Amino acid sequence: MNRREFGTLSAAAAMALFAPFRAFADETCQSPYMPKITGHEEFVYIWTLGVEGMGDEQDKLVTIDLRPGSATRGQVINSLSVGGRNEAHHGGFSADRRYFWTGGLDTNRIFIFDIHTDPAKPTLHKTIETFVKDSGGVVGPHTFFALPGSMMITGLSNDRDHGGRTALVEYNDDGEYISTYWMPTKEDMQGAVAVGDAVADGYGYDIRALIRKNVMLTSSFTGWSNYMMDFGKMLQDPEAMKRFGNTIVQWDLHTRQPRKVFNVPGAPLEIRFPWGSDANYAFSTTALTSQLWLIYEDEGGEWQAKSVADIGNPSDIPLPVDISIAADDQTLWINSFMDGKTRLFDVSDPHNPSQIYEKVIDRQVNMVSQSWDGKRVYFSSSLLANWDKKGSDDAQYVRAYNWDGRELVEDFNIDFYELKLGRAHIMRFGSSELYA
Amino acid sequence: MQFVKTSALVAGLGAMAFVWSLWNDVPERVPFASVFEAPENYQFEPPVAGSYRLNRIKAAPNGTVLDIHGQAHELSDLMKGKYTLVSFVYLNCGDVNGCPLAMSTLFEIHDTSLDLPGLPKHVQLMTISFDPKRDTVEAIESFAYPILADEKAEQKLDWHVLTTAGQTDLKPIIDGFGQAIDQSSDQDVINHLLRMYLVDRDGEIRNVYGLGFLDPRLLMTDIETLLMAEKSL
Repeated sequence: MNRREFGTLSAAAAMALFAPFRAFADETCQSPYMPKITGHEEFVYIWTLGVEGMGDEQDKLVTIDLRPGSATRGQVINSLSVGGRNEAHHGGFSADRRYFWTGGLDTNRIFIFDIHTDPAKPTLHKTIETFVKDSGGVVGPHTFFALPGSMMITGLSNDRDHGGRTALVEYNDDGEYISTYWMPTKEDMQGAVAVGDAVADGYGYDIRALIRKNVMLTSSFTGWSNYMMDFGKMLQDPEAMKRFGNTIVQWDLHTRQPRKVFNVPGAPLEIRFPWGSDANYAFSTTALTSQLWLIYEDEGGEWQAKSVADIGNPSDIPLPVDISIAADDQTLWINSFMDGKTRLFDVSDPHNPSQIYEKVIDRQVNMVSQSWDGKRVYFSSSLLANWDKKGSDDAQYVRAYNWDGRELVEDFNIDFYELKLGRAHIMRFGSSELYA
Repeated sequence: MQFVKTSALVAGLGAMAFVWSLWNDVPERVPFASVFEAPENYQFEPPVAGSYRLNRIKAAPNGTVLDIHGQAHELSDLMKGKYTLVSFVYLNCGDVNGCPLAMSTLFEIHDTSLDLPGLPKHVQLMTISFDPKRDTVEAIESFAYPILADEKAEQKLDWHVLTTAGQTDLKPIIDGFGQAIDQSSDQDVINHLLRMYLVDRDGEIRNVYGLGFLDPRLLMTDIETLLMAEKSL
C-alpha cells in the first residue's frame, strides 16, 4: 500500500469519524508546530520585569483574565514571582503548548512555566541556571521558538566580550542542552554566502521559520554591554552605537546550517512569516533606520531581502519594535517605541506595503499581540529596564483594544505600576480548551 | 607459477571483497531520497546526506509493549541494534493530518524499501498505539495483517505494530518520548500532536518530526546520514 492509497483510505475514515485535531488559530506569531487557540483567548500571560522599590521587586508571570462574561475579565487573576530581577524579556511556548519558556537577558536564567495543568494559574515547572555554561558562552536568551521535541533559543551576546557576537542554542523539551549554533561571521561563514554588501556580524535577535520551504531566518540586535546600558548614555556613546547588528541570516531549518547573510542595516528585530500556503516571504523592521524589510523567495527560488517602506519619519527615529501580522496576511501592526505609536500597514502586496492607520497608544509602547480574527489587539509597554523612558513618561501597562477595521477602541487598561507589578513585556495567550 | 600466484591473489582479494560486501550488506549507493517521489506539500530539496549532523536529543524511554501475538517485550530490546522510526497512532484516528498521515508516510517508506536492498538490516519501523483500550492485540493484529501478508514482506523493513496492556504501561512511554495526547470529551477522539521519532541503535532519539517535515525523503536522508557517520555506507 503506498501513500496515495492510504491517503484515500484515511480520507474515507475521516468522513466516517471526523475528529479535527486542534489545529486552530490564535495569535499569529507562534511557532507553526504548536496547537492553536480557536475562538476567544481566555488568558494572557505577561512576562514582567521587577522594579526596585516596587512591590516584591521581582520578575513575575502575570495572568490576566480575558474570558468573555467572566467576573474578573480584564483583571489580573494571578501573579507568580520567580525571585530576583533577571531582565525578563521574551518567551515562547513549547511545541505541545504545555509549557511557557521565558528568559532573563541579564542573569541568563530560563524559567519554564506549566500553563496546562491550570491555565488560570501557571506554576513554575523548572528553572535552567546553566545556559551560559551549557551553550559555551552564549548570553541573553531572547526568542524561544518551538520545534518538535526541542526549543530553539536565540542569544543576544556572549560572555567573552559582552558584545553582539552570539549563537542559537537548542534544548530538548525536558530542558536538557542539545547544541549551540554560532552565528556566521566574516571570519567563519560556515558555508554561508554574503549577499551584496553584507558583512556577517555574528549578531542575533529573533528567529522564525517557514517549514514547507525549510527556511529559518534570524535577525540581529546588540550585545549585553548595550542592552544593559542606560539608553540615554548609550545614545551619547559613538562606539556603543556602532555595535548594532546589520544582518538577517537565512538558515537551512532541518540541518541548522546558515545559507545566506543579507545586509539589513540598522538592527533588524522581529521577524514574521505569513500563513498563506503560497506566501514565501517574511517581514522585519529595523530599529535604527525605521524601515520595513521584505525577505522573499524570488522567481528563481532564491531568497532575497529588500526595504519596502518607511515606518514613520525615519529621521525622527521612532524606533520600530514589535510587529504582528494578521492571520489573513493582509495587514501588519508595527509599534514604535519612541513615539508610542502603533501603525497598521496594508501588506496585501508585500512588495508594496502602505500605511493605512496609526494611533498613539501611550508615551511608550513595545509589544503587540492580536487575536486570530484580528478583532482584539493587545499592547504592552516595556522595552528594556534601562531603555524604558523615565519619570512620567515611564508608562507601564497592558491595554486591550477592539479593532473594527477602522479604529482601535480601548477595551480595558491595566496599569502595572499602580498594581506594583513592574514593567510589562511579552504577552502570550492561553486557553483551557487546548487541554483535556 | 608467478601467474598462478598472482591470479590466486586477485581471486582471493575479489572473494574477500565480495564476502565483505555481503557481510556489510552495502546497498547500492544511490541517495536514499532519490527513490521516493517528491511529495506535493514539501517545497524544498532534502539536504545532501552526510553534509550535516544529527544531535542526540535524549534517550528514548523503555517500557513494556505487546506485539500482535500478545507477547510482551521491552521496548528497548525491540529498538536495540537498528535505526527505528517510531510513531504513536490509534487505529480509530480520523484526523487526516494525524495518524493517517503518519501511517501513509510509514507505508511509503515500507514499500519503497524494496528499492534500497540491504536497508532492512539497519532500519525498522514501529507504531505504538496510545489507545490500548480499543487497540487490543486482536485489533493491531488485524491492522498488521496486510503488512505481514505482503509476499515481499521479508524483503522490506521490519514493522513492529505494538500496543500496551493499558495506561500504566503506556504512560511512561509516551511521556518519555514527549508525545502529547489529550483525551477529549468525545471518548472516541484522542487529540494528539503528530510526531515521529528517529531512534538510533543505542536508543537515543536523534530527530523528532512534526507536521510539515514528514517527507519520506527527509526521514530517509537522516537515516542515510547516520549510516554514513558510522561508516555503514
